[in-house]
Amino acid sequence: MGKKVLIIDDSSTMRKIVTRSLRQAGLDFDTILEAGDGQEALQLLAKENVDIILSDINMPNMDGIEFLRQKSANAAIKGIPVVMITTEAGADILAEAKSLGAKGSIKKPFTPEQVSEVLGGLM
Amino acid sequence: MSWETHIADATVEIFSTMLMMEVSPRPPLTERIKTHQDSVTGMVGMAGIYKGMLAIHAPSSVSMNITGNFLGLEVDEVNDDVKDAMGELANMLAGSIKAKLSDNSKDIQLSIPSAVCGDSYSLDYQPQQGCSMVPFESTAGQFLVELQLEQQT
Repeated sequence: MGKKVLIIDDSSTMRKIVTRSLRQAGLDFDTILEAGDGQEALQLLAKENVDIILSDINMPNMDGIEFLRQKSANAAIKGIPVVMITTEAGADILAEAKSLGAKGSIKKPFTPEQVSEVLGGLM
Repeated sequence: MSWETHIADATVEIFSTMLMMEVSPRPPLTERIKTHQDSVTGMVGMAGIYKGMLAIHAPSSVSMNITGNFLGLEVDEVNDDVKDAMGELANMLAGSIKAKLSDNSKDIQLSIPSAVCGDSYSLDYQPQQGCSMVPFESTAGQFLVELQLEQQT
C-alpha cells in the first residue's frame, strides 16, 4: 500500500510548496492530505491513517504545539512521526516540540534537499 | 549589523530558496511611504520584548508574478492565492528577524499573517524607535520590505 503524508499549515501557498518539495525530493507518497490547522488535522486523523505528518507551528485555532500535545494523548495516533516545518526556529520551541514527540524540524525557507534529508531517515 | 542588512539578507535568501528569484536590495528609503497604489501588502505583527510589524508591499503585477513563482503557475488576478503568498512571505521574513532579536521563541510572538490590497490604501503606524523600508529590484519589478520595531522596557 502507498504511503500517506499529512501537511498541516494555515497557508494554502505553503501547503502547495511543501507538496511540490516532496515531489521534487523524489519522496514516494501516494496520497498527500492537507489540513489548515491542528484541529482540522485531528478530525482528519480520526478517519484517515497516515504514515507521517508535516506541521507548521504558528497557526490559528490550534497551533502546532497544541496539536502535538493532543496527538500524544491519543493512543490511536501518538505513534505517527511528526516533523515541524516552521519559521519559529528557536531552540526552546523546538525542544518543546521534541518533548511532545516531534521527530525533526525543517526551517523555512527550505530546499527539497533539506526536506528529503529530514524525512528520508523517518521513512 | 543594521536592520536594513538583516532585511536584505533574509529577503534575498527567501526569494532565491523558495521562489528561485534573484532580487537585489537598493539603498533604504529615508522617508517612509505610507500610501500604496494598486498594490498588495502582506504583514505580520510582533509582540513581546519588541513590538512592531514586518510588511512586504508590492504592486499588483509584481505580487502576481511573485505568487506565480511561488506556486509554479500563471497568476493573472489578485486572488486569495496572491494574498496568502504575500502573507506567507511576510511570515518567513518576520521569522528571520525574530531569530535575530532573541534566542528564546517566547520572548516575541508573531501574529498570524494578513494581507491587504486595493487601488489606494494607507498603512498608519506611529513608530517610536526603528523604522526601515528597503526597496528591492527583481525581474518582475520593484517591491518594498518594511520593518517597524520598538523595544519594550
